[in-house]
Amino acid sequence: MTSLSLPSRTDRDLYPALMSPELCASYPAHHKAFVRIDVSLRVYWHTLFDICPELLELSGPDGMSIFRPFMAWAGEKKLAFDWSYYLWVYVWPRQSPFKERLLADRKYLRSIMGASAARWAVLDRGRDCGIVIGCVDTTDIVIGWKCRSVLLGREIELIEPEEPLPAPPDIFGYFTLPTFELDIFPGWQGLAR
Amino acid sequence: MRLGFNFTLGDTHEMVQRLIAERHIDYCEFLIDNFFCVEPDELAKAFDCPVGLHIMYSKFLEADRPTLVDFAARLRDYIDALNPIYVSDHILRFSHEGRAFFHLGEVDYSTEYELVRDKVLQWQDLVGQRIHFENYPSIMDGGVEAPAFFERLTEETGAGVLFDASNAVCSNRNCGTPFEAWRNVIAGAKHFHVAGYRQSLIEPFISLDTHAEALAPDTLAFLEKFRSVFDKPGATMTYERDDQIEFDDIVADLKLLRNLFGQPEERRHDLALSA
Ligand SMILES: [Fe+2]
Ligand SMILES: [Fe+2]
Repeated sequence: MTSLSLPSRTDRDLYPALMSPELCASYPAHHKAFVRIDVSLRVYWHTLFDICPELLELSGPDGMSIFRPFMAWAGEKKLAFDWSYYLWVYVWPRQSPFKERLLADRKYLRSIMGASAARWAVLDRGRDCGIVIGCVDTTDIVIGWKCRSVLLGREIELIEPEEPLPAPPDIFGYFTLPTFELDIFPGWQGLAR
Repeated sequence: MRLGFNFTLGDTHEMVQRLIAERHIDYCEFLIDNFFCVEPDELAKAFDCPVGLHIMYSKFLEADRPTLVDFAARLRDYIDALNPIYVSDHILRFSHEGRAFFHLGEVDYSTEYELVRDKVLQWQDLVGQRIHFENYPSIMDGGVEAPAFFERLTEETGAGVLFDASNAVCSNRNCGTPFEAWRNVIAGAKHFHVAGYRQSLIEPFISLDTHAEALAPDTLAFLEKFRSVFDKPGATMTYERDDQIEFDDIVADLKLLRNLFGQPEERRHDLALSA
């Protein structure tokens, strides 16, 4: 095994690199620290492309032309990587060479909004039961519901409202639902980084 | 040793019922915070067996107090309705500088002991009961400090350890933590986990706690060698499977565990009464 000048005794020594392909590259490839960081980065990769495989059509099969620059951009913006992870993946290529192809087909946006709604429904531990996500590029809204019965998992709904809600002020907006009914529109909240 | 299975979301409900009906398991472990929108009474009726409550996302090392107070209040409703065999949680890092890990991080056992101890005391106090904390499938060398850390933590906080045997196997393979170093922890623990692991895709290979494959030979050998240290009255072992959830494969592993530990006392007693 290669010796290493960077500290790598504990996982904690590697925390910043666990979400940074750039920092990963500063570790020698045959060191355990590199493999541990690689394991972490692969989870970010799979979380994105396993759930939104359509994005691979834009990037090519290894996803790297999206993944690497997105993760670098996310690092600069200090994105929290909370449930809104996917939405930022849409925000980023809107200003990238992928913009035209991304906007040309609705399936990318639907997939991304559904993925973020599902992630909220699985990971949020607040008291709300559902989340509604809207986007300026569509009048459709996507709702994620938390698990409401031992027989079910989380549920995702795509709704094409007859009377569209007002567009969110930013690219995306969201609001949460305190019950399992969509019976309020308290206005859009912007994404927190 | 009572055997259990982890129930994390509704889609395995039918399979878990079958595991119970066919007596492959004696109890069920709920990933309880996945079910915070299900009424406690509905959850209490879900399975005809005792339950353990495993917490995934309290993030008690990182969350602010109002968030933890609210989490504990909801958890309490489930504890009261389900009267679980145990309540367990994780000593883990979920984020760094406000940015979430998707592959969770291990704490630094030598520099963060006091912080963890104080948070454990506060968390048990908020929940209003003893909590069993799970050991991490260590990768980096600092993992060798985990056994002494957990021993001291239980002494100074009254907390228990939910000892994950296959996590200890990963730690042994990845950073050489001797099984023998865990002897006191295992002897003092009543609640256990076990699962499959797999290797990393690139070299030097590390072992990853994936819960998606059959029990490995070294995991079974570890259980066998320490069988009498694991087994004790009231002991439980949850077989965890989160991916590749195939009934027959799960039953095959559960049978290996049954053969190793034998029928639990309670079950033998049941049978004696009904015979
Ligand atoms: Fe595990
Ligand atoms: Fe575990």
